[in-house]
Amino acid sequence: MRRSPRPTRLARRVLPVVVAALATAAAADRATAHAGGIRSAARETVSVPTWLFLATGGAVVGASFLLASAVTDRAYIRRIDTWGRPLPDAGRVATLAARGVGLLALAVTVVAGLGAESLGITDPLRNAAVLLVWVGWWGWVVLSAYLVGNVWPAVDPFRAVAGVFPTLDRAYPDRLGSWPAVAGLLALVYLEVVTPLADDPFLLTLVVLGYLAVSVAGSVAFGVDDWFGNADAVSQLLRAYGRVAPVARTADGLRLRLPGMGLTEADWVDGRDDVGFVVAVVFVTTYDGFVGTSLWADVARPLVGVGVPALVVYLLAMLAGYGLFLWLYLASARAARRTADTFVAPGELARRFAPSLLAIAAGYHLAHNLGTALSLAPTLAVVATAPLSPPPVAALPVLLVPGWVGGVGVAAVLGGHLLAVWVAHSTAYDLFPDRLQAIRSQYGVTVAMVAYTMASLWIVSRPGGAPPFV
Amino acid sequence: MSRDTAPATASDAEPYAVPPDATAHECPRCGRPFARERHRDLHLGQSHPDLTADERAAYDAARDDEAADLRRFRIVSLGLLVLFYFGFLFLFAIFG
Repeated sequence: MRRSPRPTRLARRVLPVVVAALATAAAADRATAHAGGIRSAARETVSVPTWLFLATGGAVVGASFLLASAVTDRAYIRRIDTWGRPLPDAGRVATLAARGVGLLALAVTVVAGLGAESLGITDPLRNAAVLLVWVGWWGWVVLSAYLVGNVWPAVDPFRAVAGVFPTLDRAYPDRLGSWPAVAGLLALVYLEVVTPLADDPFLLTLVVLGYLAVSVAGSVAFGVDDWFGNADAVSQLLRAYGRVAPVARTADGLRLRLPGMGLTEADWVDGRDDVGFVVAVVFVTTYDGFVGTSLWADVARPLVGVGVPALVVYLLAMLAGYGLFLWLYLASARAARRTADTFVAPGELARRFAPSLLAIAAGYHLAHNLGTALSLAPTLAVVATAPLSPPPVAALPVLLVPGWVGGVGVAAVLGGHLLAVWVAHSTAYDLFPDRLQAIRSQYGVTVAMVAYTMASLWIVSRPGGAPPFV
Repeated sequence: MSRDTAPATASDAEPYAVPPDATAHECPRCGRPFARERHRDLHLGQSHPDLTADERAAYDAARDDEAADLRRFRIVSLGLLVLFYFGFLFLFAIFG
């Protein structure tokens, strides 16, 4: 769950190599921008006052709602939603190969991480553990989950290891639902923000092993399927992102559909806990960006100044921020009940519209990570083939990402919002018999999306830095 | 997508909540409560194929009513879009 400050730090390590390969100082500046992803991309192109930049972003989302509302043909909306083609299944060999790759990657991570000191590979750019987790997993596995389809269930080494152990088969408590996954996701992002997880292979591997231990304990207590189907944060995260993807596993095997259209089905969001998880996925991106801004430093400084430990300040900010996000989303769902004049229960409205938020989260993930995932992909490939004795940093290949990739990031943020607007539109048409009611039901969610867009654009337009005091 | 049929098979909550002081117009076939007659009439026409003549007439009337409202909404939203467009054109011309 990383985003700018840390990956920027990782990317900064790449810079000397990139700079050396570049002829002009101007070209070097541009390269810096790509590695940082959206933040630098946005800064680079903004030459209007900040308020106008923010207002434009908000207006684009608002206008896209008005444009989507102009599409009022039920049959057409349903056709877009249900379009699909069956795909051939992956087959047993591919599934076994995926499992093997996952287990191998975990083994290499453990060896390269725990042995970083003794093997002399403490430099994160040369360390297979750091590259596998941040570039391979957080970059490519997550990217592919929403761009193509979620392969994590086949790869997941934690599940493979946990499945080996016998289970006590206690009944998984229903009332816990997905809340352990919410807690796990928030905890992982908290760790990522307050510790140098992208720079310290040893620490990173301890976290990976800790995660493995929790997975094994949970599976022994409740059984592998119950644990990974409900409480495992990483599985839930990848499954949620996988809903955005064009390829999905259905009851009849693999199926191709239009990107994002899996989000109009909300059967998998079966209560407030799953709504809470979706909101957490959106929230952690914002939190990760927010703690790098100077506003956060100004808020935290007096608290840290009077002696409150920085770790507690970060934790409080995370819990308060998450509570605020969840409250705002539920309030926008309650507003839909009034504006649409309907008797559909508020919880039901929150449940049905929640998946649309995932398109937004996927857009931000792409914007933040595409640059790093591309530029470090060759580095990962070389280091992974010789994890115990990788070449020196100067000899490691780095992809020189062209300048327009930064633009892809901005387009991804916008595209995610537009997709979310369409998904909400389609969901509303499914839910309400009256088309005007369907339009009115989206007022609250649209206001929330406009506000969220402006807040996010404000964060990416701030000069980014590492989180202070930790 | 199961177009506006009872939405919540997987939900752990009640799909509908009718405030105690509100009048609910219930669908005679599936019992789904609606806040307005028009919503119920439209629902009948969309979700239940075997309409009586009265229900058919009510559905057609509700559709006409809905279409008129949609036309009004379209005109307003077109106006808003024009306002957005020229508003931002001026803002960018002055501040950009």
